[in-house]
Amino acid sequence: MPMLPPVSKRHTGWRLFLMTVFGRSYPRVIGAQRETSWVFFDTLLPMLSVAAYVFVYRAIKAPEDYVGFVVVGGAMMAFWMNVLWSMSSQLYWEKETGNLALYIISPGSMMAILLGMAVGGLFATTLRALGIIVLGSLLFSVHFVVASFWQLILVFLLTMVALYGLGMMTASLYLLLSREAWHFSNLAQEPIFLVSGFYFPIKNFPAWVPVIGSIIPLTLGMDAMRQLSFASGPSLGWVSVKIEIIVLTGLAVAFLIAARYLLSYMEKLAVREGRLTESRG
Amino acid sequence: MENHYAIETQSLGRIYKVRHAGKKETKTLTALEGVDLQIRKGELFGLLGPNGAGKTTLIKILTTLLAPSHGKASVAGYDVSKEPEEVRRRINMVSGGESSGYGLLTVRENLWMFAQFYGIPGKEANARIKTLLEIVGMADRENTRTHSLSTGLRQKMNIVRGFLTDPQILFLDEPTLGLDVGASRDVRNFIHRWMGDDTQRTLLLTTHYMVEADELCDRVAIINKGKVLACGTPSSLKQSLQKEAIFRMDLDCPRAVDEAPFRGMAGVKSLKVHDNETRTVMDLVLAEESVLAGVIAAVTHQGAQIATLQKREPTLEDVFVQLVGQRMEEVEHADAPSGE
Amino acid sequence: MENTTPVMQKNWRSFRMAAWLGWKIESNWTDPFLFAIYSIVKPLAAAMILVVMYGVISRNQFDSPVFAYLFIGNAFYQYVSNVMVGVSWAIVDDREHYRTLKYLYVSPISIPFYLLGRGVARVLITTFSVVVILAVGVAFLHIPFNPAVINWPLFISSLLIGILMLAMLGLLLAGFTLRMAQYSFNIGDSVAGALYLFSGAIFPISVLPAFLRPLGYIMPISYWLELIRRALVGGVAADFPMFPGFSNLQLLMILIGMTIIFGFISVWGWKKFDWQARERGLIDQTNNY
Repeated sequence: MPMLPPVSKRHTGWRLFLMTVFGRSYPRVIGAQRETSWVFFDTLLPMLSVAAYVFVYRAIKAPEDYVGFVVVGGAMMAFWMNVLWSMSSQLYWEKETGNLALYIISPGSMMAILLGMAVGGLFATTLRALGIIVLGSLLFSVHFVVASFWQLILVFLLTMVALYGLGMMTASLYLLLSREAWHFSNLAQEPIFLVSGFYFPIKNFPAWVPVIGSIIPLTLGMDAMRQLSFASGPSLGWVSVKIEIIVLTGLAVAFLIAARYLLSYMEKLAVREGRLTESRG
Repeated sequence: MENHYAIETQSLGRIYKVRHAGKKETKTLTALEGVDLQIRKGELFGLLGPNGAGKTTLIKILTTLLAPSHGKASVAGYDVSKEPEEVRRRINMVSGGESSGYGLLTVRENLWMFAQFYGIPGKEANARIKTLLEIVGMADRENTRTHSLSTGLRQKMNIVRGFLTDPQILFLDEPTLGLDVGASRDVRNFIHRWMGDDTQRTLLLTTHYMVEADELCDRVAIINKGKVLACGTPSSLKQSLQKEAIFRMDLDCPRAVDEAPFRGMAGVKSLKVHDNETRTVMDLVLAEESVLAGVIAAVTHQGAQIATLQKREPTLEDVFVQLVGQRMEEVEHADAPSGE
Repeated sequence: MENTTPVMQKNWRSFRMAAWLGWKIESNWTDPFLFAIYSIVKPLAAAMILVVMYGVISRNQFDSPVFAYLFIGNAFYQYVSNVMVGVSWAIVDDREHYRTLKYLYVSPISIPFYLLGRGVARVLITTFSVVVILAVGVAFLHIPFNPAVINWPLFISSLLIGILMLAMLGLLLAGFTLRMAQYSFNIGDSVAGALYLFSGAIFPISVLPAFLRPLGYIMPISYWLELIRRALVGGVAADFPMFPGFSNLQLLMILIGMTIIFGFISVWGWKKFDWQARERGLIDQTNNY
């Protein structure tokens, strides 16, 4: 009698895709529950950074809505950091530990792996963002004037889909990178905070800056959210919310399609150049 | 695609471009060259060679992690370059010294996660995990977080991961690295049983432990510096040396042995002199037994005394020395192609 | 009994070797030109965020002492995030990525001096970035920077004492990072971000609610940044002061005193966390999810 019976069923196609997503998201979700210090380090401490910018605006006597912009920007920053560090450059760490090779040789697709990372990270990230919004609003008496709740939800969801699509695209680049991965992610923090207008309306830039910055979905997403959530929002928006929704939809579709092809192409390139299993150097 | 070879390579080669820090020019490094292998279904095939020989490079190509520079390779009848998805459905891999998985997850959770990537339903995956952990003696560690496992237990977990998905073809790259003698023996026994349970299963094992290759493998290929030097069953490889006489002499020497007289002696096919803790050891492969008398005379002429004289059956190590001219450890100390 | 290396020689050797290693790690990742770009773009972008925030509200009135206050404070705050975090990040790097921390522990080096040495490369890179940022501020944003009126002795002494102070804080943070094995990746950045609020870097502590101000007054970073501002742009700093009742000398004495106190706290904290980490087997523990 065999010591272990053969596997009776192996799912393929969409079921395999979903199982892979679920499997890869599991460590993220469980990790967040088992190591709860992220609540302090990823929510309360970043709240202090947000507070610093709030006090800058108060020191220079900015209108109160700008305090709200900082709180929203601080909350949305959580998603950018998640995409940057827990998706894109995470593949570099997976390479170092040998997990990447095991993912590649499994029938589950890399897109599903990345989506799993994103979904798993979204749990803690959403809590962080919500925490910052709630705490920030209470501490600094932020006054929201929501013009259209459903438009706001739509903008947020489109921004997230487009953002994580972008994350998958950039993750494919990290298949080829070694130590540069960490530096590129590091470089994509402050410059992106600047051109995407995390703490101020992008309308104040020359037109070409937000045009370029729009490649980051958070640029238009936050601009639309400001317009929909604050009394002075519409007067400080760069373009109308409708246009931003259309562009965000386009970005979401384009990034997801591009991610699929780019992942496949980069994987082949990495296999050709032997980059999937090299060590840190 | 019906093919009675589980793994087949034709003139397979891989060249790496290496660029040194601070320098613009790149050098090429040949990790594999002209590798022709045919591994039948149901075979437990060993790839034996020193560190840097190209074993891991070959495994990476066959598991679709690395593209060959030239030549072709197919696994389960599918080209590794053109149809990698088909290959991946049918294989798995375990490497020695692996640190895969996630420290915060338990043993069971890590294994379950990998089973998901192969489409194995959760209930069946958990049942298989339970059985496999019992077999490898880790049943009590099922709910232990992996960051607190020792190296050996972690490697056992990785081995379980490889077998968990019931692959048609399994690649084991130095699987007993980091395991103690008992655990290594358990793993070898397990491999035997696993292969015996289904004659269609194929296993490619790389190792630089001669004993492991000798004990486990149906056939062995000896590889060095990217080239397959010989391929056959362990007994046929050893039999190629059977005509010759293999001796080991332990000597008490007042001074270092001068090897020159022996190398020039007719009938001495290979000579290795090295020191152990207490004596000088001379390993000889002679064309025939009668040459021994001349060797003994030369030894005593140098003032050495023979403490022990032993006639040995040839081992795979002797085959290696015969093919390469050095012991495996000596080859590892010299320059070898990187890329493993 | 085998030879015992004198303590000072061992510490110096550890520091020197770590400084070399730190530089190799920081600089040896790509083309030097790209490395220079990276060292400039990132801190400059961080500075520009504040510039834009200020410009939007003040309609580009960059002549104000308020702007000089926040620009210079923000520029030098880089030392806080790079030096303090850099020292503590060596723990994460060596434990999780290079997996060499355990080998360092069994070798005859001084781990604290090793960690401090790892911060040297960051000091050099940060100095380069700060110089560039100040140059941009002077050239394009009307920062009133006149080398003839800079109080160089005050500037140099404050800078050096400040770097030492930050290195000691980094050591304390390194100990904490060592102890918090399972969530060590973000500790440094999170703490640096939090201190941004209390250190008077970009606004005076008096802007904070009254109950939060004591936190700013017990941070040596607050005094350090004010001394830097006074040394570099004395008159302008006086128009928007943070510690109006204190002279330069008094602030310098306070900084020195707090550096000594925090130095002791850091050494004590390091020893405590180090012992706890060894007791719990965290020196070679890796976590990744």
